[in-house]
Amino acid sequence: MGRGARTDVFEIFRQEKDGDPMRHAGNVVAPDVELATHYAREMYSRRNESVRLWIVPRGQITDLSDPDLLQPPLDRSFKKPGGYVMRDKLEVAKRRAATEKGTDVD
Amino acid sequence: MSTELRRPTRQVLEPDLPRFDRRDLEPNARDALAGLLLTMADDEFVIGFWDSEWTGIAPMLEEDVAFSSIAQDEIGHARLFYEMLAQLTGDGADRLAFGREADEYRHAMLVDHARSDWAFSIARRWLYETADAVRLEALKESTFTPLREVVAKVRREERYHLMHIDAWLRGLAEAGEEPRARLVEALSRLAPDAPSVFTPLAGEELLVEAGILAAPMAQLAGRWSSAAAETLAKLRLPAPPVEPPTAEGRDHRPPSDAFAWLWGEFTSVARLEEGVEW
Repeated sequence: MGRGARTDVFEIFRQEKDGDPMRHAGNVVAPDVELATHYAREMYSRRNESVRLWIVPRGQITDLSDPDLLQPPLDRSFKKPGGYVMRDKLEVAKRRAATEKGTDVD
Repeated sequence: MSTELRRPTRQVLEPDLPRFDRRDLEPNARDALAGLLLTMADDEFVIGFWDSEWTGIAPMLEEDVAFSSIAQDEIGHARLFYEMLAQLTGDGADRLAFGREADEYRHAMLVDHARSDWAFSIARRWLYETADAVRLEALKESTFTPLREVVAKVRREERYHLMHIDAWLRGLAEAGEEPRARLVEALSRLAPDAPSVFTPLAGEELLVEAGILAAPMAQLAGRWSSAAAETLAKLRLPAPPVEPPTAEGRDHRPPSDAFAWLWGEFTSVARLEEGVEW
């Protein structure tokens, strides 16, 4: 667009095939949502690579990147399953399940 | 050149054009249909080449991709119509596209102008797309099945071409000042040539009679100009002419300087070695 023309950034999400999640594909610059829609299809489905696109004005996105909210400073390791060793318990459970199954068949 | 290198590199995965038997058509209707297909193919081919001149220099990157891609779509439509014509007459699509002299092309006067500025290209594409839409609509129920099938596919693409160019026409019209002034100037320059898309065809009454084409060209011109006038009036833009198209709307003997130059460009590679298969 010429001098002084207003343009916005639109974030584009695409679905590759029916049932897939919408994934962020990239963005386009356009003067309005109508042309953004055209540019999105040219950039992200010109070769039939999408079955659906979402065209979202960047200004409409609520951005959250606050480390206090996303990366709390205190130890949260108790919220992760990594502290538990499951291997031995799983072995026992599998053996028991196999035995019970054998019993049922008899 | 070895025969290995002469083998065509183009691989058609799924042919878009259904096979047909040209003997299914009565010879006079066949000639008239050949005339119609040639004009449609030439229109799409020529505007496709003019608009692809914007590749790399459009006003913004996204539009550069979109405009070039649409131009390529038009050349793709031309390919379909040339192939159908080739099947109809026993000619070759590549020869039709690249093997004719400049004065043998039958594109409308509307697409005979050089690219000029952005507003001019927008104005022209808008005039052409809206006219082409009326012409395609008149073929959507064609009794000639291969044409009906191809037109159905082409119309699905032309739908978003129209949406895209409509958005640009409105954008420039509502921007005021220089963009609007340039658009108004371009529309005034192009308007007299706009009805040339509907130049009467030799034997078109046979096509209408056979149900291949829904209505004569003059009638389609009327449909187009009233629909176009409505959109343009809303944007306070100059109305297209209401005069019916003249018989010379597709006559390029001799070709204009602008088209002679474009012809030299688009045939330059094909002329490197005559008869080679690409």
